[in-house]
Amino acid sequence: MPVDVQGTFASQKINKVRWIPEEYTETKYFFTGSWDDEVNCLKVWCIEKHNEDDDIEYPQAISEYKLNGDVTEIKFVENNRIVLSSSDGDVRPEHCSCTSVDVLEGDIVTAGEDGHINMLSSRRGEVAHSIIEADSCSIHSICYLKQNEIITGNVRGHMKLWDLRSPQKDKYVASFLLNENQQAATCIVHHPTQPHIVLAGSEEGELAVWDLRINTFPASAINTHSGSINEMHFHPDNPQKLLICSGSGNIWENNMEMMIRTSKNKDNQSVTTWMQLEDKNKIVVNSLMPNLHKSINTLDIDRSRILCGADNEAVYILRNYAF
Amino acid sequence: MELASARQVEPVNQALGTVIFSGVYHKGACPLPCKLLPKKYFEDGASCAWSRGNQFSVYPSSRVVAERSAASSCEQSVLNIKQNVLIFSPILRKLVNESNGTFLALQKVAEPIHNSDNLVELLKLSRQYRSVIRVCIENLQDAIENEKEGLKRNELTTCLTIFYSIECVWHLCEILFIDSIPGEIVLPHLLEWVRFNFPCHEQVAAQILEACEKGSESHSEYWPTVIGMIVQGRVDVVRALLRLHSKGDLNEFRLVDNTLKTMPVYTIYGGLSTGDFMINWKHWQTECRARLSGTTFSSEPHLELIMRLIVGDYSAFELIRDRYESWFDLLGGWVMFKAPWARRHELAEHAHACAGMKSRMPDHNRLHTIVLALCEGDLHQVIHEIQQVADNGWFATHLTDILYHSGKLNILDRHQTNVANRLRESLILEYGCMLMEHKSLWSVGLSYLGHCPTEGIRRAEILVERLALHSEKRVLRIIAEAKKYGLRDMACVSSRHASAGRAGAALAWAVRARSAALASRAADTLLRRYVATRQLSATDLLLSLGSAMLISDRLLLLGKYCEFHRLYKKKEFKSAGKLLISLITSKIAPDYFWETLLLDTLPLLESDEVILSSVDTFEIMLCVEQCSKHLDSEKADLLRLALTRNLARTSLAIERTEQNQTS
Repeated sequence: MPVDVQGTFASQKINKVRWIPEEYTETKYFFTGSWDDEVNCLKVWCIEKHNEDDDIEYPQAISEYKLNGDVTEIKFVENNRIVLSSSDGDVRPEHCSCTSVDVLEGDIVTAGEDGHINMLSSRRGEVAHSIIEADSCSIHSICYLKQNEIITGNVRGHMKLWDLRSPQKDKYVASFLLNENQQAATCIVHHPTQPHIVLAGSEEGELAVWDLRINTFPASAINTHSGSINEMHFHPDNPQKLLICSGSGNIWENNMEMMIRTSKNKDNQSVTTWMQLEDKNKIVVNSLMPNLHKSINTLDIDRSRILCGADNEAVYILRNYAF
Repeated sequence: MELASARQVEPVNQALGTVIFSGVYHKGACPLPCKLLPKKYFEDGASCAWSRGNQFSVYPSSRVVAERSAASSCEQSVLNIKQNVLIFSPILRKLVNESNGTFLALQKVAEPIHNSDNLVELLKLSRQYRSVIRVCIENLQDAIENEKEGLKRNELTTCLTIFYSIECVWHLCEILFIDSIPGEIVLPHLLEWVRFNFPCHEQVAAQILEACEKGSESHSEYWPTVIGMIVQGRVDVVRALLRLHSKGDLNEFRLVDNTLKTMPVYTIYGGLSTGDFMINWKHWQTECRARLSGTTFSSEPHLELIMRLIVGDYSAFELIRDRYESWFDLLGGWVMFKAPWARRHELAEHAHACAGMKSRMPDHNRLHTIVLALCEGDLHQVIHEIQQVADNGWFATHLTDILYHSGKLNILDRHQTNVANRLRESLILEYGCMLMEHKSLWSVGLSYLGHCPTEGIRRAEILVERLALHSEKRVLRIIAEAKKYGLRDMACVSSRHASAGRAGAALAWAVRARSAALASRAADTLLRRYVATRQLSATDLLLSLGSAMLISDRLLLLGKYCEFHRLYKKKEFKSAGKLLISLITSKIAPDYFWETLLLDTLPLLESDEVILSSVDTFEIMLCVEQCSKHLDSEKADLLRLALTRNLARTSLAIERTEQNQTS
């Protein structure tokens, strides 16, 4: 079946969408967080039929929580707890825009425009440790690599690796520039089954892939979109599929098998190789939706359904996605 | 903008707030709760001033108020008055955003490259616009159902009426100007339009037919429905309804049924030329007239009326005119029974005939004028009228745009030049600028301004510069959008960070904006901070700056100085020394930094190994003497001592090497 797109207008620009996961069935509920408005909302939506005999299910907003700043990130700490970051600094004690949050096994790490990194404990919600002036510019993306390792990217694409165990906690262990044009690093993810493979997206649509075991920095970057890479996720049930949404209004599916080949060498160690440089402009990508004219800010995946939110104040549900 | 010059507003009455409002506010929109200004405002005179966008502030002009020290009272004494924009309400924002998508798709289609099948695409987009309007109407209906409060309900109902008429006009416009109708035979489309926009009779007819009982005339709406169906040209429905009449087997009924059955229907592909069809038609009508005069319908006045209607009897139409709200309910039927072969350009004559029918309540509302102008093909008048619709220009903008692109818009000015493009642009500009005022809809506004070839970009530049910058994410988005439309890169972010005391971020943005002035300012801040605290911040940034540091001398100094620190810390004294000397000799340091630079030579001069050569030492000596006014004498003496000692050491070293060479 072809991918079926259903749009619902929400009257606010959507910055984050998250399915509320169910273990055995397709979930009916999701969160949206808005941005760039006088008053922003975290909304809970339910996909249901208007009338009993309708064939089509529509999303309906069932509750909302108002906040002044932009919703910059929503992540699940546990099954029934979310952490939400906002630009008025709600997650953090400082009054400075919080830009990114990552969660690993109940630990929360946040980064903000003030260049600080804070680690929070999710149970009490207070700052357990912070790295003051971790960056002299504003940090735009943060990601856990391991329990004690995080990577941050700033507005100039300056990436820093931090080891939280090292005695000099406030000093980064490695750093590099994502690209020569000093474009902001907008998002970082790591491969779900091979956590040493890290991907970072930039403001101008460059996607950098690298293997932490070989290098702490990417060898080269691939141009994917003309706009910024706003969010990317590996499909939870098929880690070979990478979904990317961009500022140019596209949502694309990339096949990671094409990009990375893992083979075994003589000592039976797996070795990851990348495609040759000359092939990089020929990556096979699938556009999942017609171009939107406005930035798609966020996406989330639940089995065969993809949810995405955009600056045209609409939430789109893509059904029948073959993964 | 006359108000901008109206300096002093006389303390005339308390309702001044409302008076001013009516000047700015669109006519006809829902009533606004108005706020009365407190009397004390006008005791000593009030002033008003324009602020950004459609906003102005009223404040008491007397000095007395200013003396009241409490800040809160000061805030209360300035009253900001702004236009209440209808389409910024949540329900209509959906319309704004969705139609924006269609608008942008339309601009793509209209690009000269895609000239191939423009009209088909335009028709599709026009339908898309109509479906957007339909969704909006449905949303409004839902909202009205759920709204309990009377005032808000009224507002929504007003809004709903506006959009009903927008839908109606758009549909007719699509038929007359965008759709390509084979042979220009407008009737089938016209009937569809009447049917779609005035569905009340059809619903009743469906009910009666579904019940399918003989003797349906007992239904109170039976005859009005039959007549209504005739007027909408639904001959088959009328026949079905007549059959349900309890006297349906009578001769009169059979006669009418037969007449309707034999009515010739004109189709462009029917194989008959218009002339041949007209002969058939005349023939049929003569027969009808003969039957009308020959048979006595005295017992069945309704049937007589039907017969009179289908022969196109003007007085019969006039008779039923008052049953309908407006004359265009009758337009479809009139054309059908008067001239079914009417072409688009012949519609005006028929419209005038319908509009001229005598009525108890002659309608002089806007919709009436618009529809009449549409039938006349006077698009200038149409646009002029729809600009008065209280939807903040949404309708006028989008309709004008699609008509312009379909090539049907020809508006001549006094010199007989076509000014359609200027009209389109001015409407889009107005609409775009209004959206730019909204905190969140600015990006939608920008996409409209981006499609105004002559003035849009310049206006967008001015407006984008004034957008408030709350967070960097917003800034990045604004820059990305601005780039899309080729606006100049904005450098204003840098100053925001500078004011927040975050020199590192300020520097990063200054470099990004390639602004030498801002980079110098940020670098200056960092250098002064170093002088004061001996802490060099933003080193991570400076060390990775690369060639970008060349944009300003001050930044170059800072970057190189940072590099010097790095080398020194790594104990690479030779290269550190070299770098420091080059910084000193290039004379790019500001006055306040000379002392730091010169004193930094001290540890190098005093180190165990000779690092600075005699030539370097002479250079430093020269600088010490030139800059003695920036150094306090004690430090200068210390430096001089170190310099002479180093000079002595270097001379010795030179002597020693010479000796080594000679021996």
